[in-house]
Amino acid sequence: MIRPPAVLRFGLLLGFFFICLGCSTGSRQDGYLYYRLNADPSTLDPAYVVDVTGGSISAKLYNGLVKLDKRLNVVPDIAERWDRHDGGRILTFFLRKGVRFSNGREVTADDFRYSFKRILAAETRSPNTWVLDRILGAREFMKGEASDVAGIEVRDKYTLRITLTRSFGPFMNLLTMTAAYVIPKEEVDRYGKDFSVHPAGTGPFILNDWRHNTELLLRANDHYFADKAKVRGISYRIIPEDLTAVTEFELGNLDVLAIPVNEFSRFSKSGKWGPFISSARGLNTYYLGFNCSRAPFNNAELRRAVAQAIDIDKIMDTFYEKRGTIARGPVPELLRQWGPPAKSGYNPTASRQTTKGLGAGGKVINLYVNSDQEVLDLAEIIQSYLRASGLDVRIRQLEWSAYKAAINNGEADMFWLSWWADYPDPENFLFPLFHSSNHGPAGNRSRYTNKVVDALIEAGQNASTTEERNLNYMNAEKIITDEAPWVFFWHKTDYTVSSPRLKNYRIFPVYNIDKGTEVSF
Amino acid sequence: MTFSLMKALPGDPVYTMAGERADPETIEKIRKDIGGDKSVLAQYMGYVAMLAKGDLGRSYYTNRRVLDDILVKAPNTIRLASMAMLIALPCGVMLGLIMALSRKTRTDRILSAVSVFGLSIPVFWSGLVLMFVLSLKLKVLPPSGTGGLKYLVLPALTLALPAMASMSRITRVSVVEILDMPFIRTARAKGIAELRITTAHILRNALIPVVTVAGLDFGSYLSGAVLTETIFGWDGIGRFAMEGIVKRDYPVILGCILITTVSFIMMNFFVDLLYRHIDPRLRTGGNVD
Repeated sequence: MIRPPAVLRFGLLLGFFFICLGCSTGSRQDGYLYYRLNADPSTLDPAYVVDVTGGSISAKLYNGLVKLDKRLNVVPDIAERWDRHDGGRILTFFLRKGVRFSNGREVTADDFRYSFKRILAAETRSPNTWVLDRILGAREFMKGEASDVAGIEVRDKYTLRITLTRSFGPFMNLLTMTAAYVIPKEEVDRYGKDFSVHPAGTGPFILNDWRHNTELLLRANDHYFADKAKVRGISYRIIPEDLTAVTEFELGNLDVLAIPVNEFSRFSKSGKWGPFISSARGLNTYYLGFNCSRAPFNNAELRRAVAQAIDIDKIMDTFYEKRGTIARGPVPELLRQWGPPAKSGYNPTASRQTTKGLGAGGKVINLYVNSDQEVLDLAEIIQSYLRASGLDVRIRQLEWSAYKAAINNGEADMFWLSWWADYPDPENFLFPLFHSSNHGPAGNRSRYTNKVVDALIEAGQNASTTEERNLNYMNAEKIITDEAPWVFFWHKTDYTVSSPRLKNYRIFPVYNIDKGTEVSF
Repeated sequence: MTFSLMKALPGDPVYTMAGERADPETIEKIRKDIGGDKSVLAQYMGYVAMLAKGDLGRSYYTNRRVLDDILVKAPNTIRLASMAMLIALPCGVMLGLIMALSRKTRTDRILSAVSVFGLSIPVFWSGLVLMFVLSLKLKVLPPSGTGGLKYLVLPALTLALPAMASMSRITRVSVVEILDMPFIRTARAKGIAELRITTAHILRNALIPVVTVAGLDFGSYLSGAVLTETIFGWDGIGRFAMEGIVKRDYPVILGCILITTVSFIMMNFFVDLLYRHIDPRLRTGGNVD
């Protein structure tokens, strides 16, 4: 027989050693919920969380002064009540006593002051400063012109007063966001930049283990100050591939699955899973944006002609399999407390005449899309509708990062994008997207400018009554839909399918409503 | 070179880091923080200086040290590659040997057809089929995850299939060549047992090209089997690098390229050492046994 040479034997041994290394069972733990994430969360530090995944996990680890309830109202969280003075410009929060961080220390008003100042501090370099920069003195503090934020005042151990530069309607909504969660200073000092992987909060769950790109494990916090979790913990399994996640779900290794697009019709028609599908109308708007700052789409008439050329109802019923509701304007119906704007409707003849009349026929137009297959298919549908109206659309498909840079810099004539609510207020679908101070990466990527709209949005933000606010927003939305800086497509509905063993599971329109305390087996 | 190519790509990590609602000040702040406001040369020099201190920097997104992440992911990739090679090499060589010894028979033709099929199927397809059969239907293996042996089998098998096919073909060709050589006739004339002729004389001489291919395959697994790692949720270097590329996470991309380059060079070195053991003619100095 041949004797394997020493080097080969060594190699085989090494290989075997590595194969056996790190063996772990990884099977289901009793009493734990199993969810899927398609990517590892970048961070769990509230100062840096900018995505829905990070936000929804943070909601289970931390608390703020206030939170959203199921009907999207702002309700007490750590603050048990609050007073409003000067038309909502001055807010005094009275904190619950006995709320503790996961390290055992009690939360006081000082912790909120520290957490808010940390977001605003220049050295933190948080992308979320906009959540809190309306507090009096915040801008000066951010620039380093002041050593403290004048508008954050600790009145006593359990009383915090926040003063804004001027009254701002959605401010209470902003306080429900991830960036406004309270964190303990001593843990941040201890871990520094690594606080993102050693989060410590007051929430119903505590981070137990985080094997990056594999599994994130939370366990229930037995000392949580409000309704405690009914499960022992939550495991977020990181599974990038949709079909793999479907297999895991069907094998019972996952309890909840956001239904992938390609599997939607199979699940919805299935007798086995049909009864366990839940849906939530999302707070989002999908749109085809125009670059309003240059020819040819600096002309509202041509933009309207494009809108008339596309049969959105038909695309929704066929291509999109009715997974949403048709958008009448930028504001989702769930948030619109006024009558919807008039519907423009599909009218290819009128569209063709307008394009011809404007001399735009045969003009080459760049439509930028990202590398998602569904988006590319949709772009081809749009292209064919616009060809019928005499417009020559060239699709430019870019990978996400390049795509984002291109549309932020205004390179595209048209682009396909969606906007998802940060907080449930119509203002979130008007100010960042259509106010002229937000051109480019701040949200107004169509570079739409209308001084009247600016003034109406600002009046809505500063309104003291709901009626006044709604009237201003309604008028702003009316002008916007009429001038059509976007073609408004739809509001997407989210669908999930859950295991039959699960009780009280539902999905919510905003990522941070679900604290994970209601669901049980 | 990688450095300048990467910087020349369209796209800007700052926009993804800043989220959907970032004002120009925040964007500038973040760009400055990651050194994106400096010239490419200055950024490169900064990176080299950091490398000299044994640091690969921190990821733009997770803020975690790239080296720490690589130290977790590299062993996973090595495990996957080793397992795939442990399946591919013996099976491939065995198949090739059978094909060669039974050449021009029906067995040879059937196995040849199978190996061509094995070579041509893409891993995303074979991976999903294996998952469908072994996980969903037979319920013998978990479909995804990073962990012990049971998690390793599916991705390793997926990765091994094409390698097994190519090795069987190469083994067949080189064994067939050797079968006709005079020293085999000599060995038979000496009355040496057929089994010993096959293993010690034929196989040993046929191994050189197989080892070359195996080395190259192993090297490419080490630089990341992106598709396989993604399908099976395996936490390896390939997926890590891919996610870095998509998000333009420069420190992650550079770290991964550096580590895979090193492992590729080491693999080639190992293969060279193996050559000398397999074929005594390649040794310089020393005794020929």
